[in-house]
Amino acid sequence: MSTESSKKRKPKVIRSDGTPTEGKRNRSDTEQEGRYYSEEAEVDLRDPGRDYELYKYTCQELQRLMAEIQDLKSRGGKDAAIEIEERRIQSCVHFMTLKKLNRLAHIRLKKGRDQTHEAKQKVDAYHLQLQNLLYEVMHLQKEITKCLEFKSKHEEIDLVSLEEFYKEAPTDISKAEVTMGDPHQQTLARLDWELEQRKRLAEKYRECLSNKEKILKEIEVKKEYLSSLQPRLNSIMQASLPVQEYLFMPFDQAHKQYETARHLPPPLYVLFVQATAYGQACDKTLSVAIEGSVDEAKALFKPPDDSQDDESDSDAEEEQTTKRRRPTLGVQLDDKRKEMLKRHPLSVMVDLKCKDDSVLHLTFYYLMNLNILTVKAKVTTATELITPISAGDLLSPDSVLSCLYPGDHGKKTPNPANQYQFDKVGILTLRDYVLDLGHPYLWVQKLGGLHFPKEQPQHTVIADHSLSASHMETTMKLLKTRVQSRLALHKQFASLEHGIVPVTSDCQYLFPAKVVSRLVKWVTIVHEDYMELHYTKDIVEAGLAGDTNLYYLALIERGTAKLQAAVVLNPGYSSIPPIFQLCLNWKGEKTNSNDDNIRAMESEVNVCYKELCGPRPSHQLLTNQLQRLCVLLDVYLETESHDDSVEGPKEFPQEKMCLRLFRGPSRMKPFKYNHPQGFFSHR
Amino acid sequence: MERATQLAVPLGQTEVFQALQRLHMTIFSQSVSPCGKFLAAGNNYGQIAIFSLSAALSSEAKEESKKPVVTFQAHDGPVYSMVSTDRHLLSAGDGEVKAWLWAEILKKGCKEVWRRQPPYRTSLEVPEINALLLVPKENSLILAGGDCQLHAMDLETGTFTRALRGHTDYIHCLALRERSPEVLSGGEDGAVRLWDLRTAKEAQTIEVYKHEECSRPHNGRWIGCLATDSDWMVCGGGPALTLWHLRSSTPTTIFPMRAPQKHVTFYQDLVLTSAGNSCRVDVFTNLGYRAFSLSF
Repeated sequence: MSTESSKKRKPKVIRSDGTPTEGKRNRSDTEQEGRYYSEEAEVDLRDPGRDYELYKYTCQELQRLMAEIQDLKSRGGKDAAIEIEERRIQSCVHFMTLKKLNRLAHIRLKKGRDQTHEAKQKVDAYHLQLQNLLYEVMHLQKEITKCLEFKSKHEEIDLVSLEEFYKEAPTDISKAEVTMGDPHQQTLARLDWELEQRKRLAEKYRECLSNKEKILKEIEVKKEYLSSLQPRLNSIMQASLPVQEYLFMPFDQAHKQYETARHLPPPLYVLFVQATAYGQACDKTLSVAIEGSVDEAKALFKPPDDSQDDESDSDAEEEQTTKRRRPTLGVQLDDKRKEMLKRHPLSVMVDLKCKDDSVLHLTFYYLMNLNILTVKAKVTTATELITPISAGDLLSPDSVLSCLYPGDHGKKTPNPANQYQFDKVGILTLRDYVLDLGHPYLWVQKLGGLHFPKEQPQHTVIADHSLSASHMETTMKLLKTRVQSRLALHKQFASLEHGIVPVTSDCQYLFPAKVVSRLVKWVTIVHEDYMELHYTKDIVEAGLAGDTNLYYLALIERGTAKLQAAVVLNPGYSSIPPIFQLCLNWKGEKTNSNDDNIRAMESEVNVCYKELCGPRPSHQLLTNQLQRLCVLLDVYLETESHDDSVEGPKEFPQEKMCLRLFRGPSRMKPFKYNHPQGFFSHR
Repeated sequence: MERATQLAVPLGQTEVFQALQRLHMTIFSQSVSPCGKFLAAGNNYGQIAIFSLSAALSSEAKEESKKPVVTFQAHDGPVYSMVSTDRHLLSAGDGEVKAWLWAEILKKGCKEVWRRQPPYRTSLEVPEINALLLVPKENSLILAGGDCQLHAMDLETGTFTRALRGHTDYIHCLALRERSPEVLSGGEDGAVRLWDLRTAKEAQTIEVYKHEECSRPHNGRWIGCLATDSDWMVCGGGPALTLWHLRSSTPTTIFPMRAPQKHVTFYQDLVLTSAGNSCRVDVFTNLGYRAFSLSF
């Protein structure tokens, strides 16, 4: 604004108030090239201070004039107008001065500003330059620092130590003369050597890699070869099966068995192992097999977490169901019982073959919750057996193995801990379930290595191989003798029921050639009936007539004499002899309580049984005893002293040769038969 | 007979055999030790068992006190008779007489001090010795049995001095008549014979069965037991138990017993008798009536 106004005002020379603007313009145009009054130059000449004083004076004058004008105007008058006019002209001059001063002031200001502006610009330019330079300096400094900090990669490399370097590096690299003095060269040389070494090593590495590849390929080839071998071996095994069978070495079968055996519970496993070992080592007639479902066995073996969850779930379910359906409580108890008596799905089958081709089949089961083993037995013979009526119980599966060892009747659980378990589910005794589950004989537990001490129940009874092994042989032998003696009895009973006492030829020497008394009846009786007989009280009181024995009644007759014999057959026949009790009906009833001779006859068969055992395995004991009874009855009847007071001949003439009829204070009859002389004497 | 309850113990072979043996056992003879503390019993298997009377009869007697202290096999055959001297136990059965020291008898593995066999005529069958009788005055032992003779053996030397023959059947029992040393023997032939030891001859014979009052033909004629009181004699067996006056050889009293008698003794004025197959010991007075019976 001031610059424009200065440009406009430049050509102006004089100015007054109220001059028309056209006039100013014209003057400015015409006087532009001509006289050129530079007020700027005037500014430089005048002194600002004096101008300021002038300004102040002018203002004062103006004030004074104004004041005078005012006075004059207020007083009024004629000369006032001239005075006023004069003063007006003076004030206009003063106004003009003021304007000039104002202009000058403006010009000065403008100048001042321009100068300041220029200076400022210069300063700014310098400042900018300074900053640029500073910036550059900084940049350069940074670069310098960077350069100074620069770590060459070569310093990260662990170079070999100097001594080694000089030792190992070839001289064209190490250049000792040069490098010793100059560390830079030394470092370079070392780096060279490093490079050299690395190249060599890289070479080696490549070689090794290629080697490895080769070897891997070889391995692959061999693996394939081996894997192709497996199916071939299998086919050979298959092909060799017939050969195995022919040579009686069933390896394959055995191998499969061992596989299955891994899933057996420990007691059955012990039994299996020991039985197989015994069969292979000592007894070729024993064969062992595993039956049952392996998958079920595997399914039993769940991990503990799952089974716990299942248990808790099923418990929760059970609780819910009991709340909802009360009537099924009995069913639940039944289920719990079934659960407790559950058998392991796998069982071990042992077959014992006897000399006469009869086989004893034993199936061993393991009751998981009760931790006991049970066994079911079956006897099969080579030929079909016609069972005589009295032999019904001899080979029945329930009783054929009863009392294999004395007192082992197999009706009670051998594990004392089971009693507490039974109480929970309301089972009184295992006897009710043995038909279904098998008998828990003590020898079965021992064969499975389970040993139950009699007093305290033990929580964990583990299967022990040594216990099983020590019992295996005895038990197997006992089983065989048991089966054979039962079969022998079976045959004998068939004959006895027909009234014939089957005495084998090698036992004939025990008896005289002529035996007149005959066996008329042979029947089986039950235990209670035996206890009821009046002449068996002694045996009952001596505890020899338990409920595990078998009881029979035999009737021997000669003429009018009838001899009744009640027989107790112990399951342990023939090592434990049958026991006879006699009752003779002839001229009155004579038993061991009123006739010593009857007692002597009983003694002859009961106590002196060892003579009657016959050749081993002493299956002839019972028949020999019966035959002896016939002989004894003969002797008794024939040696009865004749009563002179009674008329008539003796009913039984004496045919036996006896040295003396009576001996000893008890006046015994001669019951002992002497072979081969054939006479009777006393013991 | 033991009143045993049904045994719960399992019976193996040996237990059954032992039970059977016990059921068929007969004790034939017994003898008390000189000190009176022990009782020896002999059975039909030839075993002798020694029982401690003092332990069994004491107030603290337990079951075990009633079992024998020791049992050993003395003879092969039954031990039919036993007597005790003041130091020895003499046992006889199957033809032999053996002597055992009472002092040693309780030890295990006791062996007989001596054994003697009377000279027998037959060798086919060894006759049994049914009765032993000690004659203290002569220090001799009289044996009688199956060979129908009485043999006298001197206990010092062990030799058999006399054999008294006369019986026609084997001899059951012997009794000693102290005053005049005479031995009475009763046998299967039904006769009671008196023998004089000094002359070794038969002094008197009483054939009991021939007397109608006492004979019981259905039982036989054998004389099973004898007891004598020097003047009196009681004998019984097949015939009824009868009291005889020896001098006159007449039966005076017949005791009313049905069963044949096996043992009889005089005790002071009473006659004690027992039959083999009943559980009673009957006590009679001389006048012939049964005073009372002791029962098992």
